[in-house]
Amino acid sequence: MEVLHEVSVKLDAGEIVTIIGPNGAGKSTLMKTIFGLLKPTGGKILFDEKNITGLPPDRIVRLGMAYVPQVDNVFPSLTAQENLEMGAFILTRDFSDRMDDIYGLFPLLKERRRQRVGKMSGGERQMVAMGRALMLNPKLILLDEPSAALAPNLAAMIFDRIAAINQTGVAILIVEQNAKESLKLSDRGYVLASGRNRFEDTGKNLLTNKEIGELYLGG
Amino acid sequence: MGAFSRIPQLIVYGIISGSIISLGGIGVSLTYSILGFSNFAHGDIMALGAYICLGVFALFTGLGLGNTPIGPLSFGFSFALSFVLALALTALAVIVIDRILFKRLRKAGSIILMMASIGLALGLRNILQFFWGPQPHYYIEKIQVASIIPGLGIRIKPDQVFIIILAVALVVLVHCFLQYTKMGKAMRASADNIALARVTGINTDRVILWTWVIGGALAATAGILAGIENKFITPELGWQMLLSVFAAVILGGLGNPYGAILGGMIIGLSEEVSTAFISTGYKPAVAFAIMIIMLLVKPTGLLGRRK
Repeated sequence: MEVLHEVSVKLDAGEIVTIIGPNGAGKSTLMKTIFGLLKPTGGKILFDEKNITGLPPDRIVRLGMAYVPQVDNVFPSLTAQENLEMGAFILTRDFSDRMDDIYGLFPLLKERRRQRVGKMSGGERQMVAMGRALMLNPKLILLDEPSAALAPNLAAMIFDRIAAINQTGVAILIVEQNAKESLKLSDRGYVLASGRNRFEDTGKNLLTNKEIGELYLGG
Repeated sequence: MGAFSRIPQLIVYGIISGSIISLGGIGVSLTYSILGFSNFAHGDIMALGAYICLGVFALFTGLGLGNTPIGPLSFGFSFALSFVLALALTALAVIVIDRILFKRLRKAGSIILMMASIGLALGLRNILQFFWGPQPHYYIEKIQVASIIPGLGIRIKPDQVFIIILAVALVVLVHCFLQYTKMGKAMRASADNIALARVTGINTDRVILWTWVIGGALAATAGILAGIENKFITPELGWQMLLSVFAAVILGGLGNPYGAILGGMIIGLSEEVSTAFISTGYKPAVAFAIMIIMLLVKPTGLLGRRK
């Protein structure tokens, strides 16, 4: 079944872009297609001016893109530190400096590094998942509903960390259903509905757009 | 009182048989969690290992290589070397089988893979029977005198001590591999979530290769140790042990290699100790009963996690 039709999304280096839209709009499908988990029937995906359409995920990871799925995004029987080590699997050199950077972003993970991730809370798991995706120092990270199922204060903390990650120069593409928080820190945003992109504007403008507010941001 | 006085001795037998079941169970558990199917051919891979050892040993004997017993053991250097070679050859064989059979079915799902493993089980058993015949082949011809441990009245043979020590050493080795090496951690990660492992950049093809190498080598070890303990092997060896191995894996928690080790010990001990009270012929029924009870009471097993 074709879920996406003529979607066009663009990210500049270092940007944060949020894609919002109702359930079933094709947001997760778009993420999976970009990351090579699904093959598009047509069209092109360019990354760093390189055509990556149809490349498998393990190749795309090596090009400097990382993906954090919405659910099942950690290895629960591994410790937090082992999860981060897995993020650096393809590296043969020492990556302890990179791990220190991640612990700098998420000091809580350093405290809990020997704990099994399966025993951690939703917010902590999200930190582990993002930390794992950051291990290879990607140019772009795809976040699928990073605040889903999190209490509001935890969601705010995650968005604060997303902004901090972006400060280090990483471009971030977020899809969100409840997107107010996400749009606040985004440079630009897209509205996806029924598999097409309907609007494109800056994050601020989308937030203040009355029609979009009513339709997609819960008034 | 008669039945109870035999229990210390039966516990020793239980530990020996539990060691062998555990080694077989680790492979079943790893295959289940990483490749996503119950490998019904695992028992016959154990038998394959035992027969490869027999074949290599016969070759060495034919070449005039002596088998003077090492210390108190009933076998010598030639057999020990055959043992080690059989592990490598069995691992190689299962890798080839994976390439020919399982690899192309990977996308077809766990039921198809399981059915294929049943076919492989029958195939392997009949190949062994074709080359070696259905009759028992003697592994160890020398008769060993059991030593008596003073005080407890337990009798144990040097070969049996060897079986227990080797099993413990291999379990420790597997534990260290899984916990402390990069590939071991990647195997645990892939067992948790192979799709995420792939997305993370873990080379899952190599993880699968290692799964077969470890599972195959440990299966061969279990088969050969069963041969040493029983003194002979038949092509049915693995198939007969498969129920105990599966019961152990389910009891410990499907997909958790540590569960397989614990389950193996419990099944081995229960089977042997039960003979103090009921006929030896019911040993498989004991394993089966434990498996059914566990499935009814706690299907995730003793150490199992919710998937």
